[in-house]
Amino acid sequence: MPIPEERPIRLPAPAPPDRRRFLTVLSQAFLALWGLGAAAVVGAYLKAPEKRDAERTVNAGLLADYRVGEGRLVRHGITPFYVVRLDATRVLALSAVCTHVRCILGYDPARRTLVCPCHDGRFDLSGNVLSGPPSRPLPGYPVSVRAGEIFVQV
Amino acid sequence: MRTALALLFLAATAATARAQTGTPAPPAGPAAVAAASGRCGVCHPAERVQFEKSRHVPEGVRCVSCHGGDDHSLDTAIAHGPGYRGRPARRDIPKLCASCHADEAQMRPYGLPVDQYALYQISGHGRRLAHGDDQAAVCSDCHGAHEILAPRDPASSTYALNVPQTCGRCHGNTALMRVRGRADVVRTYQSSVHARALTGKGNLRAPTCVSCHGAHGAAPPALGSADKVCGQCHTVERRYYAAGGHAGGSSGRPGDPHPECVTCHEAHGVQPARPERLGTSCVMCHEGDSHRLDLGRRIWNGYRTATGEADKAAALVAKADAIPIPTEDYHARIEEAHTYLREALSAAHSVQPEVVAGFTTRARAVGEEVQKELQGKLANLRQHRYVLIAFWFYVLLTLFVLKRFRDQATRNR
Amino acid sequence: MNGPGRQDPPARQGWVDWLEQRVNLSEIFSFLTHFGLVYTPVDTRKPVREVLHDVAAEPVPRYAHGARALGLLAAILFGLQIVTGVLLAYYYRPTPEAAFESTRTIVRDLPGGWFIHQMHAWGSWLLVAVIVLRLLRLFWEGLYRAPREVLWWCAVAMTWVVIQSDFTGRLLTWDSHTYWGTVRGLEVVWAIPIAGPVLAFLLGGRTVNEDVLIRFYVLHLMVLPVFYAGFLYLTFATLRRVGLSRPEAARDQGTIHYREHVYSMTMLTVGLFAVLVTLATLLPFRFHAAADPYATPGGVRPPWYMLAPYALLQHLPVPAWLSGLGLLAAAIAVLLLPLWLRGDDTPGRRRRLRLAGVAVLAVWLALSVLGALLERR
Repeated sequence: MPIPEERPIRLPAPAPPDRRRFLTVLSQAFLALWGLGAAAVVGAYLKAPEKRDAERTVNAGLLADYRVGEGRLVRHGITPFYVVRLDATRVLALSAVCTHVRCILGYDPARRTLVCPCHDGRFDLSGNVLSGPPSRPLPGYPVSVRAGEIFVQV
Repeated sequence: MRTALALLFLAATAATARAQTGTPAPPAGPAAVAAASGRCGVCHPAERVQFEKSRHVPEGVRCVSCHGGDDHSLDTAIAHGPGYRGRPARRDIPKLCASCHADEAQMRPYGLPVDQYALYQISGHGRRLAHGDDQAAVCSDCHGAHEILAPRDPASSTYALNVPQTCGRCHGNTALMRVRGRADVVRTYQSSVHARALTGKGNLRAPTCVSCHGAHGAAPPALGSADKVCGQCHTVERRYYAAGGHAGGSSGRPGDPHPECVTCHEAHGVQPARPERLGTSCVMCHEGDSHRLDLGRRIWNGYRTATGEADKAAALVAKADAIPIPTEDYHARIEEAHTYLREALSAAHSVQPEVVAGFTTRARAVGEEVQKELQGKLANLRQHRYVLIAFWFYVLLTLFVLKRFRDQATRNR
Repeated sequence: MNGPGRQDPPARQGWVDWLEQRVNLSEIFSFLTHFGLVYTPVDTRKPVREVLHDVAAEPVPRYAHGARALGLLAAILFGLQIVTGVLLAYYYRPTPEAAFESTRTIVRDLPGGWFIHQMHAWGSWLLVAVIVLRLLRLFWEGLYRAPREVLWWCAVAMTWVVIQSDFTGRLLTWDSHTYWGTVRGLEVVWAIPIAGPVLAFLLGGRTVNEDVLIRFYVLHLMVLPVFYAGFLYLTFATLRRVGLSRPEAARDQGTIHYREHVYSMTMLTVGLFAVLVTLATLLPFRFHAAADPYATPGGVRPPWYMLAPYALLQHLPVPAWLSGLGLLAAAIAVLLLPLWLRGDDTPGRRRRLRLAGVAVLAVWLALSVLGALLERR
């Protein structure tokens, strides 16, 4: 039986070691970008948000900016509210959403009442219904004044 | 000694009672002498039970206060003796009640009004009674005869929730009313939004019969002033109405009454306001009057476009909520738009397009603003797709690099 | 390697040897082999460097291709689900009041939260698909025959565990659609005789309330993954005994070194990840509203894998207990398939079996479509 001629196996010439090592390192760095990306996403996600209670506490401005008897509407998502300064130190916050059909209330500083433009419902500053169709009193929000700034907890 | 005499006396009267009526008298004892009803309750137990629930009892009013007679005796001859008025005739009842309730000196300690009798005499009921209609309502028809309770007592027939039923005893009786030329308004009222608020939602401030007609001075509101009655609660609508073209007979046509609340909204069967009426009501009177119809059309079109924009904005907000992206600010602005729209409906009572437009344009502006902002945000999200293309380039490059590494490993094998 | 006398810098080699003298690193590495990263056993007496060299040069059949990659994909997806699941669990709260809100916070407010949530949702969908396809493939190729019965049992068990994981995981968002879908699914479970009430007892009963939510939470996070890992371990233990695939198939396709297999697996992972990211971006799962136990939204269906039993139990004119019994019998038959489908592996018989399998699948699909359409009314 004839012995098949052994043909020498020809491998492609290896690249010079420096370039090969450079390419290898480059490729490894490229692949490492995946790890970096994952770390960035996961890190941003895991950074615990301090918003938990902070989101519910709204800064309503400086106390000094409010005149005595002034009431200002603060728009805050679905819970807008009025901040009313009663005297030098006392401030209160009431919901600005009428308990009838959820119109946004207006403030009457002369009478110190909140008036609904839709059906003329009126509330006093304690939230009691003075007249008109609303059947439920207006909820209030706790207010604290810290370092001259008004914070309302909605 | 005295106890023995008393007992002897009691036995004697019991025996006489039995001898006279032929029925066994109930056992008489000290408990039988009640403070308010005295001995009347012995023969009239049902009325006694009713009376002792009433508001009169703690104030020292007794059976004999209205009926006269002697309430210490079980002997009919004495009990129903001199001074006994018996069952008062219907036409005498108002005066009987007024004998205390129109006396300021007696009523002042309770803070009760004393004008009921005066009002009653000029009321529809009082006038009919004076003209000889004995079926007209008198005090006991509404307040009850014996079981009179304070109006604030939920069991009272004059408690707000019970008023329609009380009035309905006569005004819901079709036969009784037809004779007098009155429609059956009670059933109509029960279908109204007022009745639903009252009985359905328990809102005690919802109007009952007496809110519009008065209680003691009950009479239908006269034409030309019906709007004042509705305007007591619906103050905003009345303000616009009074400032507008519908108030005060400005039709210019002789004999034409000017429209009042009940012209467009029903009186007793009033239903919640439907904005579509803005488009259909005007033609009911102004058919052929193109100028006024045009005013109405402008109001309706303005309201309709504004509502359309607000609704589109609300739909976008709902879509954003499903993704979800933060939308609380947008919810607030939609509420604001709805506030303007509701104000517009009230302002429509002025039948002046400019006044209504003041609100509808604001609502429309808010709606369009919200739509624009949300669509911007949604478009931003769509840009994620372009990032995706870049990502895929990166993925393919990675796969290529990995394949190179693998081929290297194969070569080394 | 680079010539005599030249040695690698001692610092690099140092810490591995330092550890090697104190703990059996090979044994720690062999832990990975149990769960399938390396399926061949490892000689833990050798130092770890030698072990790694041996493993890398191990000849294996070309396994990361075609239908055989299904098992690999299942394992990779499982790993992905664990990672994304743990990240989600950092912020999720398992009470009815907070479940929907916390999920929405994750998706809406946290950076990258929507990405992790959608990856987990699509990952679960793909995992179920892969695991079911794997089972079908095992049937198609007849890979349940002796001595590979345990492989089949593990595959069936893993399918069951994954479907349970999907079912329990759905409820956790406390979304109105998934909540009522779970209620419908539980109805199906209850209707199956014997096994149904037992299962429902373990799941927590008929009404879906806060106790059931916590129970589903525990099952989804702790119990079911442990079971899955257990069955995965058993699968690889079996494979170590009976081999990765049939010997003749291995000869046809040639062998490669394990090192190349690792690269193939990595490419597979990258590809899978890219597909998931695409799905997450282009077809994200939407939110509806928080679940309200007193208000049922229209058009709610049980999960898609329960549509066929649902159609069978609710809409066919057969008494419920009978169809429930039928389903139970079918499930047991599927489990015990290797025991009653014995016989020669002739091409004719194989063709007949495949045809029978296709017929059963067609019936299942038809019933599922029926179940889906009926709910649209």
